[in-house]
Amino acid sequence: MDGSVKVTGTPALALRSVHRVYGFGPSATNALDDVRLTVPPGRFVSLIGPSGCGKSTLLRLVAGLERPDRGEVLVHGVPPATACAAKMIGLVPQSPALLPWLSVLRNVTLPQKINKGAARRRERIAGTEREGAPAAPDMRELLVKAGLGEAMHKLPAQLSGGMRQRAAIVRAFGLRPDVLVMDEPFSALDEFTRESLQDQLLDLWDELKTTVLFVTHSVPEAVRLSDTVVVMAPGPGRIVDTIDVDLPRPRGERLFGERRFHEYEDLVRDRLRRAWRSEAA
Amino acid sequence: MTVADERTTAPAPQADPPVEPSRFSLSHPRSRIAWIRPAVWLPLLVTLAVLAALWQWGAEKLPYLLPPLQDIGSSLAGQFGYYVDNALVTLGEAVAGLATGFAAAFVLAVLTSELPLVRRAVMPIAVVLNVTPLVAIAPALVVAFGFGPLPKLVIAGLICFFPILINTAAGLRSVPRQVLQVYRTMDAGRLELLRHVRVPNALPYVFAALRIVFPLSIVGAVVAEMSASGSTDGLGTVIGVASSMNQLPVVYASILVLAVMGVLLLLAVTLVERRVLHWHDSAHN
Repeated sequence: MDGSVKVTGTPALALRSVHRVYGFGPSATNALDDVRLTVPPGRFVSLIGPSGCGKSTLLRLVAGLERPDRGEVLVHGVPPATACAAKMIGLVPQSPALLPWLSVLRNVTLPQKINKGAARRRERIAGTEREGAPAAPDMRELLVKAGLGEAMHKLPAQLSGGMRQRAAIVRAFGLRPDVLVMDEPFSALDEFTRESLQDQLLDLWDELKTTVLFVTHSVPEAVRLSDTVVVMAPGPGRIVDTIDVDLPRPRGERLFGERRFHEYEDLVRDRLRRAWRSEAA
Repeated sequence: MTVADERTTAPAPQADPPVEPSRFSLSHPRSRIAWIRPAVWLPLLVTLAVLAALWQWGAEKLPYLLPPLQDIGSSLAGQFGYYVDNALVTLGEAVAGLATGFAAAFVLAVLTSELPLVRRAVMPIAVVLNVTPLVAIAPALVVAFGFGPLPKLVIAGLICFFPILINTAAGLRSVPRQVLQVYRTMDAGRLELLRHVRVPNALPYVFAALRIVFPLSIVGAVVAEMSASGSTDGLGTVIGVASSMNQLPVVYASILVLAVMGVLLLLAVTLVERRVLHWHDSAHN
């Protein structure tokens, strides 16, 4: 299956016949089998699928935390390792992964003190196509925007789970990444917190317009957030469908009541179910 | 419609209540005020009184084994300056040894956690060193380094070395995987990672080691002093000489001073720990 969207210029993400195998011999599992995906800059793409479909593996490949066994992964035309060295990738893991000894503000500003040579590298990669490394945003302002103005000088342990995850998102946006990679960031949160964090994520994304690769288990979450929902299936892990979500933005709470939203939900659910059935067959 | 109504009356989802808000405001003052209540100090006082009575009874029955408390007290009061001087000598040796051992162990912990080659080369030796009774090495070290302060420093340092090495190495390596992944995607350098992530992460482990090692450093200094008995100052020497001359009150007075010294050192570590690790759970118990 080819999950490509029409692209002009260098795509933000390009996966070409990517294979990833864990283990050796008869016990080897095909985590990803011939995965192709192209994402133009500025798009919000969700990966959805049952456990074992390789969506987290795909995410780790893009974030440069693993290498493909075959095929090629390119982020803005360069390998993930090069993109990481230029601080073009922001990662929001499942847990907030904040440093417990630093205040929220110092947690989100620490990336600016790390790998200072990245700005130069980033300009070089940008070439003629983009305007180069964007200026570092005002982190205090971003925190206020994310509803963490009061909590700025508190330690992570003094915050709720939702606030911690918001801080982790602000930390990643603070890099002004070209690609933001999010691994089920809201899966540990309750329903209310989840929705309010989706709101804030969309607000921040609207402003900083980066490409987002978002792994999730939740169908409504995928439909609400994404421009494109990529449906994956296990055994071997592969992309079975790519659904463009053509709903107007901004997508506020009202969206949940709309018929078109539920139609997209049903469509994604149907494709997921089909993926299951094809596996059982 | 009912769904929407419920949503407006329910607590706003944005206002996430902080987790356990009372923990940070209450635990500190409470632990300090607690000592005013008799229920806290009375049991200890009673135990001490019973022990003192038993001691006095024993001293009466076995005068060659136990000196009466008032003799110990008068020895302490009569020669207070003498005890303080010798205590300071022992303390100096212990702290100097601890500082040296700490520096060496910390550097080695960083090297072993960063370089697997160093870990494989050094760790087995460190383990062997740890299981070797240092009390047995002390006389040999005195022969090697003479009767000066050096062998005391070496033994105090050696005795502190292993717990600090093991704990610090564990702390440096125990950074959660997802934290490492976040900084790996920024291509953080090894030194940056050490400075901003690994070393601060190791601090609770380091302090746990310091709590073990501070009393041990005194043990090391005293053992070394006893091995070179009579040649220098220090409470170990005082105990060695006094016991050979059957001056039991002096022996027990020195032991008492050593115990007080240990308590003061532990208190100092605790105070520094509360400062440095205010963010960590251990500082709130």
